[in-house]
Amino acid sequence: MTETTIPRGNTLPRIRPWLGIAAAASFVVASVMALFWAPTDAVQGDVYRILYVHVPLAWLAYLAFVIVFLASVGWLWTKRPFFDAVAVASAEIGVLFTGLFLVAGSIWAKPTWGVWWTWEPRLVTTAIMFVMYVGYLLLRGLSTDFSRRATRAAVFGIIAVIDVPIVHLSVLWANSLHQLPTVLRAAGSPALDSSMLLTLMVSLFAYTLIYAYFMSARVSLERARQGRLWTQI
Amino acid sequence: MIDRVALVATRELRAERRQPDGVVAAVTFIAVLVLLESLVVGPQIARDADVASALFWLALAFATILATMRSFDRELEDDALEGLVALPGGRDALFGGKVLSLTIVLLLVAAIGGLLSLVLLDLPVALPLHLIVVVLLGVLALPPIVVVDVVLALRLRARAALVPILALPVLVPQLVAATRGTSAALSGDAVGALSWAGLLFAFAVVYTVIGLTIVPAAIE
Repeated sequence: MTETTIPRGNTLPRIRPWLGIAAAASFVVASVMALFWAPTDAVQGDVYRILYVHVPLAWLAYLAFVIVFLASVGWLWTKRPFFDAVAVASAEIGVLFTGLFLVAGSIWAKPTWGVWWTWEPRLVTTAIMFVMYVGYLLLRGLSTDFSRRATRAAVFGIIAVIDVPIVHLSVLWANSLHQLPTVLRAAGSPALDSSMLLTLMVSLFAYTLIYAYFMSARVSLERARQGRLWTQI
Repeated sequence: MIDRVALVATRELRAERRQPDGVVAAVTFIAVLVLLESLVVGPQIARDADVASALFWLALAFATILATMRSFDRELEDDALEGLVALPGGRDALFGGKVLSLTIVLLLVAAIGGLLSLVLLDLPVALPLHLIVVVLLGVLALPPIVVVDVVLALRLRARAALVPILALPVLVPQLVAATRGTSAALSGDAVGALSWAGLLFAFAVVYTVIGLTIVPAAIE
């Protein structure tokens, strides 16, 4: 039985406090750089500074859903419960980050576009991605048997990842109010001032550590739940 | 493999012919939506190529969900699913057979529903052949995803609500392509209609391959 393969001691709880400290410290540094060190944008003024929250959240949301996909493949391939724990943890954090980056984007849109929300491809595909992964979590919540729940969720996690490139490329495929990619550009180097780019990279690093911290905590919790489940069986 | 898929599809179509409640429910659903559309938004807006195409494909997406759920309900009512899955290659055949039979059923539903839309809304069709190609490929692109989602939600409580929540967001690219393609065919844009039709064909192939690869794992 695969259930007996759960390791009793793992390294996640040991590194988590250090991860938390590093995440908090880098978040403070990133926030100071974003608010005080990065120059003011010539066109948008200070309102552009929400970029340092909005873009890292978006990238981390993409990463979270790609990890759901990889963990789903891992579960279907090996049936090791660890992969299911990673998938659920990453999906929950991905949904949280997607929700936050939609809100941050909406706050940014009001002063720059004049509206909180508009029906343009990037916004709509992002909202669809959000709903899709809420559906993923619903599917998990409605399934009671562990193995069936993990398998059903894994299949959906593999299908749903198709929306991630659609969201990212939607600004290139259709006429969009949303600005085109400024860092990962087909045209070459990033279209950002070097100090703005550095601040963005520091913010991205900080949010990546936050994601890693949340993941370690949530995976440990899920592993503990799985452990309880096996002892009840 | 092809024999088994054909066997499941034939069995499914025979069941549908004996008790055509899936087709009747789907066609009635589309007719009701077309009638409601012209009442709610007014005949002028309802006759707009974009609006009429969007409503037709949304209705067909819901009709696909209805027909697929009815198809699996029949299996559960008769306790036939376990027997089918237990056969060698039964899981692949179940997915392939369901997709094939549903595609045939939906072609019928789309033909009747499409004619109803054209007659009731008095829609002019600039490129009839292009319209047929788009509808054909659009219908091919719908069942693979819906069958996957119905399988995932099988025997779950709140299944009727869960399947549309899972399926519709994944179907968005297909629905956009089918709507744009249909609108282009209605208004005489041959290049637009064919390029959207090509995209629909790609979706149909990709999701059928994904379905055949991973759905057997989901059927337990």
